[in-house]
Amino acid sequence: MSKVKFTYYPGCSSMESGKHLDMSVRAISGRLDIELETIDDWNCCGASVAHVKCGPLATSALSGRNLAKARQQGTADVISPCAACYLNTHGVNESIRDNPKTREEINEALSVAGLSYEGDLHVRHVCEVLVNHVGNERIKHEVTNPLNGLKVAGWVGCQTVRPFAGTERGGNFDTYHDPKFLDNFHEACGAEVLPFEPKTACCGGSVSVYSPDKTLGLMAKILQAAEDVKADVISTPCPLCQVNVEMYQDRINKEFGTNFNIPVVFYSQIMAVAFGMDVKEAALDKHMITPTKLIEKVKK
Amino acid sequence: MTKPLPQTAARKYDLGFAQWVYDNIEGGDRISLCMQCGMCSGSCPIGDQMDNGPRKTFMMIRAGMKEEVLSSSTIWNCTQCYNCTVRCPRQIKVTAVLQSLASVAVAEGYAPQKPTLKFSKAFWRSVSWFGKTDERIVTAIYYFSYGLMEGFRLAMANLPIASRMVKAGRMGLLLPHRTKAAGDLRAIVAEAEKIQNRKRAGS
Amino acid sequence: MSAETKKPGVYLCSGCGIGDAVPMAALEKVATREYKIPAERCKTHDYLCGEEGLAMIRADIESGEVNQAIIAACSPRVNVDKFRFDGTQVVRANLREQVIWMTEPGKDDTEMLAADYLRMALVEARKVGLPSRYEGESYSERILVVGGGLSGLTAAREAATMGYEVLLIESTSVLGGHSRRWSKRTPHLPPYREPQPNDMEELVAAVKGESRIKVCLNTRVTKTSGAPTDFTVELTQEDGAVTEERVGAIIMATGWRPYDASKLGHLGYGISPDVVTSVQFEEMLATGAPKRRSDGNAPKTVAFLQCAGSRDDDHLPYCSSVCCSASLKQAIQIREADPSTSVYIVYEEMRTPGVAEEFFRAAQAAGVIFIKGKVKGVTAQDGLTVKVDDELLREEVPLAGLDMVVLATGMVPNAVLPVDDDGEPLPECDINPMSPIPVAGYAGEQPEAPTGQPCVTYKGAPILNLQYRQGPHVPILADGFSDSHFICFPYETRRTGIYTCGPVRRPMDMAESAEDATGAALKAIQAVRAISQGRALHPRSGDLSFPKINLNACTKCRRCTVECPFGAIDETEEGYPIVNPTRCRRCGTCMGACPVRTISFDNYTVDMMTSMIKAVEVPDEEEEKPRVLILACQNDAYPALDMAGIARTPLSPYVRTLPVRCLGSVSLLCVSDALSSGYDGVMLMGCKSGDDYQCHFVRGSAMAQERMMKVGETLQSMMLEKERVETFEIAIADAKNLPDIIGKFMETIDSVGPNPFKGM
Repeated sequence: MSKVKFTYYPGCSSMESGKHLDMSVRAISGRLDIELETIDDWNCCGASVAHVKCGPLATSALSGRNLAKARQQGTADVISPCAACYLNTHGVNESIRDNPKTREEINEALSVAGLSYEGDLHVRHVCEVLVNHVGNERIKHEVTNPLNGLKVAGWVGCQTVRPFAGTERGGNFDTYHDPKFLDNFHEACGAEVLPFEPKTACCGGSVSVYSPDKTLGLMAKILQAAEDVKADVISTPCPLCQVNVEMYQDRINKEFGTNFNIPVVFYSQIMAVAFGMDVKEAALDKHMITPTKLIEKVKK
Repeated sequence: MTKPLPQTAARKYDLGFAQWVYDNIEGGDRISLCMQCGMCSGSCPIGDQMDNGPRKTFMMIRAGMKEEVLSSSTIWNCTQCYNCTVRCPRQIKVTAVLQSLASVAVAEGYAPQKPTLKFSKAFWRSVSWFGKTDERIVTAIYYFSYGLMEGFRLAMANLPIASRMVKAGRMGLLLPHRTKAAGDLRAIVAEAEKIQNRKRAGS
Repeated sequence: MSAETKKPGVYLCSGCGIGDAVPMAALEKVATREYKIPAERCKTHDYLCGEEGLAMIRADIESGEVNQAIIAACSPRVNVDKFRFDGTQVVRANLREQVIWMTEPGKDDTEMLAADYLRMALVEARKVGLPSRYEGESYSERILVVGGGLSGLTAAREAATMGYEVLLIESTSVLGGHSRRWSKRTPHLPPYREPQPNDMEELVAAVKGESRIKVCLNTRVTKTSGAPTDFTVELTQEDGAVTEERVGAIIMATGWRPYDASKLGHLGYGISPDVVTSVQFEEMLATGAPKRRSDGNAPKTVAFLQCAGSRDDDHLPYCSSVCCSASLKQAIQIREADPSTSVYIVYEEMRTPGVAEEFFRAAQAAGVIFIKGKVKGVTAQDGLTVKVDDELLREEVPLAGLDMVVLATGMVPNAVLPVDDDGEPLPECDINPMSPIPVAGYAGEQPEAPTGQPCVTYKGAPILNLQYRQGPHVPILADGFSDSHFICFPYETRRTGIYTCGPVRRPMDMAESAEDATGAALKAIQAVRAISQGRALHPRSGDLSFPKINLNACTKCRRCTVECPFGAIDETEEGYPIVNPTRCRRCGTCMGACPVRTISFDNYTVDMMTSMIKAVEVPDEEEEKPRVLILACQNDAYPALDMAGIARTPLSPYVRTLPVRCLGSVSLLCVSDALSSGYDGVMLMGCKSGDDYQCHFVRGSAMAQERMMKVGETLQSMMLEKERVETFEIAIADAKNLPDIIGKFMETIDSVGPNPFKGM
């Protein structure tokens, strides 16, 4: 397979709390003949709270600028590893493409910076590209260090699949309530896939960031389910899921009298280890809760 | 298209509210199709934190209960998991509707002290200063939006998390990350807000 | 055919397992020894309905050896065509469904049951005659249609298209009725999502252009006499001119009128000129965009209040079925004309059955705002304010500042002409909802009220003014709609040859009315055709028999004239009954009513029934084998028993079933004869009676129940327990319940002990 170039939108979490997602995605991409060219001087997508203060158009303008910048770099598909970045960028792209009124308004705003964008790009999630473009056979082919015996609870979360995974432009790559792609990734890596009932449960998203008191219970349920199936790690594609469930475990233990200490990693880190990469390449040193069992599997 | 909300003396009921929502809210055009099945409220992971939930909210919109809709906790506590959106048998974009109602509530002055709004403001502060979300800046501004003392308390309470993040190498101590053309971005956003306001004024 | 000339042949079938369960030789002995059938005319075959078996019977008939075939095989309900031999009477004994399929094979009891059914058939053959048809003098095939609205026009056009002459009369000066004034109609064609053009003008033109249809405007029927194929109608025009016409069948399509909104003060009618009815609103739509009566401005907020005076015990207790769709239509029309108008529909239940659900969705998509709840009040404050008890919010919600309120009023049937307090007919008030509307309903004839319900006497002048013994009205059921057999025969009234259709029968919309009218036209055609051949209409379609009364024995008790569900029997001036055979539906209710057994049919008599009952051999008391007689209605109960057999449901071998035309045809004498000849009990199985009756002859089962209420006296005079006789309402679906029903009755009989008349 020859290399295919994608325009890459890492998103803000890639710089701090979710840098291990960015690092591991970049690491596996190289092995899967995916060339990532980052959007030059990208900005924030607005995440899930921007609209509240400034309304829908100003929020859409954020993605509008990113898309305009991406288009300047060519017509390659734009991909993002972050659920919220994908959701916003894909959504805005679709409405610029399908809704002439939105297109006109956003372009009016972009014009003050000398930019424009007509909606002719395709915005995709990294996972969708792995499913539809790369395929599991190819992933399996790259595995040099099968993770036999590693018990993985695959936790997809919300926005990676909802609301676009079942749409044509979203790549129709899986279902909303029982997605299989994540388990398939882990299986391809030789890991033991655990039945994980809350696989599309919500961690509380950004509400967990500013009002965790309301959502600790949601996260506790997810952790409990992982403990019930004796997971070595929880694996997720979403940077906000990862950080929420990792950083709040102490507080959850305090509130609910539990004793959770379950590492939460990204599927891309699991893939990196299976592809034979080391702790640094797989960014396994970036965890608040060390994924010991996964690190043990790293090829010496 | 978007017009200012009709102002009424008694705020409790507003006969024109439903029509206004149908015409002006993102996804509002399908609310008229709501058949009150309750799939949305039943699917909500955080429904127990909401006073009304989406189903009842839609019925309150029909009944013209503008004030109660715009000051309800429902529109603020949405985690945007999109369960309701993908399950709605009438294809109503429930998440989008709740988001839009929240921004209407802000614009109409119904939500001065909501944490979501404070957080959103903090978020925008970071975005408009630096072009990127810097988690350190956002959380700091957010915490101190509760006042200096409360800000310290919140910051201290979260210090263990922060220090572990630093230790894990996922929270740097350097200067904020920034988009080089942050000025451009500010201008774009300002322009978009201008367009938005122009639409609201109904010109 | 007298008894001497009858040459019965007995054909026993041993197929389908009959021969394995019952000794055929024993059955042959019953025929040849007990009933003296010559051995050469008693044959057993193992496949009687096969070619060979049928050829055997046919050969006997053709050789002249046999002119009456007694088939002891399967149920008389099956293989009817195979066992039909023209000109030869066929009598059936049901050995399969009701003997071997519901009892244990090889048992004495099973053999006794089979033998008894054969005996009953042999006796029936002795008693039954071949009916000869009724001959009238001449037959009119012309069809009178009363009412020139959508239903009447459609019926007239359909009948004319089929080649029949039609006389169409209309009381007003124009054709088209209410619906001609509608701006648009609710959708009746796919995709059922938008108001569709009103095609009434085309229909009116088509009727006017049809040479077979004679139209009389400003005309009412003032008298109807005679009988189907020979009705004489007196027509009176507005100017007083009277003419007479002869017709064969009548279609009454007199339609509906809106409920009187002046009674709806609680919904704001009268408090403001901007509270209007849906009919008034429709008239506004028909003349352009709706405008407020108060200031002539177009309304910007409109609320429709559903069920205005409907499903309300103080007003119309029923659902008019069309108002929901009508309001949806009007709401969509307002939104189409001006999308900035807020339109509310306040409803308790949205009733949009079938494809009308699509229309409901279309209204939702058009942005109509639906509020589910009960209206608590309408006031003229702050514009107009409607207070709603919102069922989904569970609180009272005010809709304040409304420009207009539309009351979706229901349909009142024109089954009678409205009258004033003195009973005088009121002037035309159809479209004016302000004019008072008296409650219509039972009139003239006053049937017994259903038990436990207050008897309501409805007022109203008759529309056809029938010159019948039973009164001038076409009978009316609950809520003032004309009576018809809802489940099976929707257009049939209780006056043979007279059919009602459209909203006079039940509330319905334009599409339903057109379909209804087409059905009624076909029934009217069927009526004139069948009756001119001397044949009965359904449910005994094709039956040539009709009641014959021996006036020498008649005591002029008038029971037959009163009880006939179809008004077929009039009275002479001397008080004797005279039968109008073409009005008769052959149920036999007159026969069951007659205390002196002087009414009979060629092929159905009280004597035949009692003889068949007595043909059963009743064992002595010591044998401890009780006998229970089931008199089962042929329409539902007897098929239910067959179904039980088909399902191989074990039933008591002690019951003996006699099928009857209708429970109404059962004379009390049948019951007392059964008891005096030693039966331990009698079960009468008929159809459901009451407002939701299923009796195929409408009132037959109700009549039987009334008669049986008096059976207690008879039993008392015989010193018997009243528990020995019981009436049951059995539907076909009750087949699975029969073991329970019959089992319980057998227990009762066990507990009261054997009949002391046994062996006497």
